[in-house]
Amino acid sequence: MTNKIKEVVSERLSEKYYEIDHKSGLKIYVYPKENASSSYVIFGTRYGSIDTQFKLGTDTEFTCVPEGIAHFLEHKLFESEELDAFERYAKTGASANAYTSFDRTCYLFSCSGNLKENLEILMDFVTHPYFTEATVQKEQGIIGQEIKMTEDDPDWSVLFSLLRAMYKQHPVQIEIAGTVESISQITAELLYRCYNVFYNLGNMAICAVGNVDTDTVLEVANRVLEYREPVKIERRFFPEPKEVNREYTETTAPVGTPLFAMGIKENIPTPERTEREIIISQIILDVLCSKTSVLYNELLKEGLINTAFNYEYFCGYGYAMLLFSGESDNAAEVSKRIKEALKELQKNGIKQEAFERVRRMLYGNTVKSLNSPEEIANDMIASVFSGESIFDAPEILSSLTLAEVNDRLKKAIDTDCSSLSVIKPEVQK
Amino acid sequence: MVIKPEIVEIGEKIRAVFVPTGNFKTNIITASLTVPREKNLAANIVLSRLLAYSSAKYPDPIMLNAHKEMLYGTSVSGVSVKSGESTRIELSADFIDSKLTFDGEDLSLKVMSLISELLFNPDCRDGKFDREKFLLHRRLAIEIIDSEQNDKRAYALQRMFENMCADEVFGISSAEIRKDLEALDEADIYNAWKELLSTATVQFNFVGTFDREKALEIIRQGFAGVDRHPVENSTLFVERAEDVTEVTETMDINQSKLVLGFRNGMTDKDDDFYARQMMTDIFGGGAYSRLFMNVREKLSLCYYCSARMFRNKGVMAVQSGIEKENRQKVLDEILAQLEVMKKGEFTDGEFESSKKAICDSLRGAFDTPEGIDLYLSLKSDSKIDSIEETIEKYEKVTREDIVRAANDLTLDTVYMLEGRDSGDDE
Repeated sequence: MTNKIKEVVSERLSEKYYEIDHKSGLKIYVYPKENASSSYVIFGTRYGSIDTQFKLGTDTEFTCVPEGIAHFLEHKLFESEELDAFERYAKTGASANAYTSFDRTCYLFSCSGNLKENLEILMDFVTHPYFTEATVQKEQGIIGQEIKMTEDDPDWSVLFSLLRAMYKQHPVQIEIAGTVESISQITAELLYRCYNVFYNLGNMAICAVGNVDTDTVLEVANRVLEYREPVKIERRFFPEPKEVNREYTETTAPVGTPLFAMGIKENIPTPERTEREIIISQIILDVLCSKTSVLYNELLKEGLINTAFNYEYFCGYGYAMLLFSGESDNAAEVSKRIKEALKELQKNGIKQEAFERVRRMLYGNTVKSLNSPEEIANDMIASVFSGESIFDAPEILSSLTLAEVNDRLKKAIDTDCSSLSVIKPEVQK
Repeated sequence: MVIKPEIVEIGEKIRAVFVPTGNFKTNIITASLTVPREKNLAANIVLSRLLAYSSAKYPDPIMLNAHKEMLYGTSVSGVSVKSGESTRIELSADFIDSKLTFDGEDLSLKVMSLISELLFNPDCRDGKFDREKFLLHRRLAIEIIDSEQNDKRAYALQRMFENMCADEVFGISSAEIRKDLEALDEADIYNAWKELLSTATVQFNFVGTFDREKALEIIRQGFAGVDRHPVENSTLFVERAEDVTEVTETMDINQSKLVLGFRNGMTDKDDDFYARQMMTDIFGGGAYSRLFMNVREKLSLCYYCSARMFRNKGVMAVQSGIEKENRQKVLDEILAQLEVMKKGEFTDGEFESSKKAICDSLRGAFDTPEGIDLYLSLKSDSKIDSIEETIEKYEKVTREDIVRAANDLTLDTVYMLEGRDSGDDE
């Protein structure tokens, strides 16, 4: 078997990268940046906290695993029978890390020297798991503290309270690291099982950006990566009703200012949103409540929001929503006003001038994101896993019409399907 | 790639730094104005926000934002940053390069003019900022202070410093600043603005493609009507702690935060800096550090335990998130690891790893315009070395230097933000 290399070019941005079908079954993306001194490399798998149930090839039933296991596996993969990965990186000077999100786990390093050695460490430790009951137990203490740390983070708590209010079925509502209780069920044997399913090379990708070249990456990949039979995984598309689970949820915590998160749930017929749909939703949100909008400026002047106000189109496999968050003494009013403004926009449609302005801004932001090897690599692995290219966004932005935007605005958004989550300060004892 | 910043002195304590890169998609302009922290502290916080919010030409913030969006989403930020016992006010804009616009529009001149407009021509009348806008930004500044305790880790660090440096300008507390904010009016902000232009140490960073003559002309014009009386920015360096102060505060949280404050022996911000920075890194920097390897990996006492040096004040902080009942265990282990540093019992591997990691990450610091801009802003009140010169200084650090730096540390304050017992559920 041989490697197949394809050049992917963006004429508009005068940028290019190489897409390689590696003989091991892994997809490798190499994006050299002229004059860069450092490289940023990610080895990722399409496996995140939402993958609590899965089916393999001929399975008839879904297999269920404990919440937080993808994140646990991420921690444990750094260990090996000899030197662990951090100790190996310490000899090269690279800065290494890893993260687990809802739908992927990524191992990464950045370095300005010893690229070959670092690639070797990365490819080697990610493809060679080593778990024992003793090391699993040791990690339960460390991750237990990580879980407690995030429990004390109100931005995180208000979001997960919202997700639990919005979703009846979907595991996006469970904490990425799980709970102290759920991780206590994790064993070395379970880790191996999940590893063997999700860490097959066909489910993974490498993105190397910056001071990199295809020859170096391939030389190491050819040496370290072995072909394995691909595993066919079926992610579960959880049946999720159109309606939210609860419209309102409230808790108290030791916070200095009250926080809120509000979501408008999208009823989705298929699990994944296209890049085009995502961009259109972003345009709608920017027209509705960017700093140029009437709504934002009114809420700000009336003292209903402050600098913490934020919004995004929040979506992944099997879930999608418009998400608004911030600090407010009167979150219910903020929520009501956002929904009213949205209904008004649905009725009248977005105007050409606002559309043009936001389109330019988003195009500018896309261009800006192509400066940093770190940002490119992270965007790239996300696009790769959803079957798109990071060069798609500028093309979509230039070909998009106002009619398309107004069409999605009317059809995909139902302001009646929303939840509001609030955290209020504890009453002083 | 070797990039050398080019410095042009424009006047007393006013300079422009050009870093012509040419290969980035975006350019950045940052105006940094540094003044002593104690004077106008609260007013400068509001001022930094107001400067980026509107101007005489764009009194309506919606108009200003629409203008920025039409400039391909040029983003402008105004912040005030604590740096030792100085405040650095930064007005910054980043924007895409003209060659990437739909029609080749020259954005850099437009953005230079915009920064000049915001800094030199704010929305003022009769010696006052607009009252409504002032009230809005004062509220926002107060709410940022009120929300500080939402981020427990940062809050615990801040409370440690407020206790450790209670009698120093560095330790002026958020509670005091909040009180000062409430007492401000819109004329105070105007006076702070006047004083800023008159007394600050000023640096303009131009990262990317710029017409240098036009840039310098815009700065000269801006300062043409300003009566300049630059003042010295200085910071009190306390070399040694007299004794250890213990402070415990409680909060209804799951994880307690332990923060240790050390004086690190510096007499000014350049005093043996490279050895001290590297010592801090071996002690509590990367995954190869003593604290990570022992407090976290060996004893499983925490998720994070790290040390960080504050060069501009000559102090070091160790931070960790722990179980309440493990306080003494963690404290003992941190101090035991410090003894290892003081006795020179760290390994050659740790020493080499730290040197490699620091130099490796410095080499990549100029790979993005943001990286260059940050590097320049941190040095806006001092000499700017090139990356290569900085690396050379780290390369020269020896094991003996590390031991000396470790022995200069004295523990000043042990701060604990104490949460619930580990058995208690919410």
